[in-house]
Amino acid sequence: MKHIKKRIAKIVDELVTYFFSMGATDISINVKEEKGFFKIILATNYLKKDEEKINKLIKYLKCAKQEEMEEYYWELTGDSDVDEELILVGMMTDEAELDIEEDKIEVKLIRYK
Amino acid sequence: MKINLKKNMPNENNISNNTKFLIITFYAFSLVIFGFLVDTPKEIFYGIYNILMQPDTLITDYIGLGGMGAAFVNSGLLTLIFIYMLYKLKITFNGTTVASLLLIMGFAFFGKNLFNVWFIVIGVYLYAKVQKDKFSKYIYIALFGTALAPMVTEIMFSTVIPIFIRVPLGVLVGIATGFILPPLSSYLLRVHQGFDLYNIGFTAGIIGTGFVSIFKSYGFLPSPRMIWTTGNNVILSVFFFLLFVSMIIVGFVFNNRTFKNVKNIMKYPGRLITDFVILEGFAPTLINMGINGIIATLYILLVNGELNGPTIGGIFTVVGFGAFGKHPRNILPIFLGVYLGSLTKTWYINDPAILLAALFGTALAPIAGEFGWQYGVIAGFIHSSVVLNVGVLHGGLNLYNNGFAAGIVAAILIPIIEAFRKDEI
Repeated sequence: MKHIKKRIAKIVDELVTYFFSMGATDISINVKEEKGFFKIILATNYLKKDEEKINKLIKYLKCAKQEEMEEYYWELTGDSDVDEELILVGMMTDEAELDIEEDKIEVKLIRYK
Repeated sequence: MKINLKKNMPNENNISNNTKFLIITFYAFSLVIFGFLVDTPKEIFYGIYNILMQPDTLITDYIGLGGMGAAFVNSGLLTLIFIYMLYKLKITFNGTTVASLLLIMGFAFFGKNLFNVWFIVIGVYLYAKVQKDKFSKYIYIALFGTALAPMVTEIMFSTVIPIFIRVPLGVLVGIATGFILPPLSSYLLRVHQGFDLYNIGFTAGIIGTGFVSIFKSYGFLPSPRMIWTTGNNVILSVFFFLLFVSMIIVGFVFNNRTFKNVKNIMKYPGRLITDFVILEGFAPTLINMGINGIIATLYILLVNGELNGPTIGGIFTVVGFGAFGKHPRNILPIFLGVYLGSLTKTWYINDPAILLAALFGTALAPIAGEFGWQYGVIAGFIHSSVVLNVGVLHGGLNLYNNGFAAGIVAAILIPIIEAFRKDEI
């Protein structure tokens, strides 16, 4: 597999773009490389009126890992600001956790090496 | 509220991977049965021999080359082989699986056959091995990439090159093409940002242009063909309407005898990657595919077009991408755009190339889905001109000529539309 770290950067790009579309104004990102996996933690605020987008986030991040889809389509991740590609983020990650509060969200993603 | 998201395939209605493979196998097998109903085994055998032993540049209608029975058997068998391959590789069945298989099914009526596709597949396989990766990760690129299969037969069955050169050269070019496809196909997605559903068509057009330019420098010119059968509308429309109605019925039954979620499918813009099987489930997707098939077949009949190998290919492509981005709401504006073109341009709506432009032009359906039907009409209108002009670049060796043209149209239109959008972040 090529461009391993670029793919991590693309996942972050996609998430940041998506949260901007939810009215985020304060986003913190932490990307950590461990021995067997990459961990991405993104904490952000959002506008309450965009709750429907949270359901979308849950639905897409739940998508199972699919390497054959990733290998072909990963370059699309984070590439457009008119439409989201969150389903690809789901397909490129092994574990996903969301912590949702009134006006804050924390996303934790794990991608095995 | 903390949610630990359990990774799974949402909206599956308990339809297993095996059941999905069985249903698609049934449709591939029905083509073989139909083939043996319309022709004798002997006619089919000689017909397939004719199909395998000739060049396949655009437009080579296999119904004209080998007869209706042979064309259907070629399509059915080739699809069954690829279904088996995907099954053995333990691929998770999704919308891309359907789209890639139905693309094989459709193009096996005018360009892909039981012989010429394997060199591309071997090339992709070798790429995976060189990268020390699993072949299964590149399987969709291999399946879609068979668009360039005519490169192999064009060289191999050339009448101007000595046999001891053309056979190994054909093999080498086919494998080399497959070998360079994975990095290129992924990279070129960014050019059209997923608004051309036939991304490999765009990639294959670029590769084909490069190869043909080199061929020409050595005095070798691919010879475009024009084998286009007529007069089979009655028998073929009966078969295809039955096929597509059966998809709606099977989908309806598996969807707990409802049309639930079908309406949801129509709400997606359809840009890559919009996988209806994952997003809304296999059963409603099957219903959407059936509806798409009926619309595409009706379009051909309404404009007095011909149902034959190439148009069947176009119809199957619309049906296949009914699992991966296309639905009536985003394909109809493309048809309308091509139709409006016929009122003002120098060609007729039922000219062969224009029939294909309408069917395959639905590669641009995401433009209508994302920005509105008006933009879809404009995309269809422009596409019908661009597609007539780009085939010469790859000498008809890229079967997805419309995918190539659609990539160019999307690359031109998207930045302009986005530049004047009001609701950007």
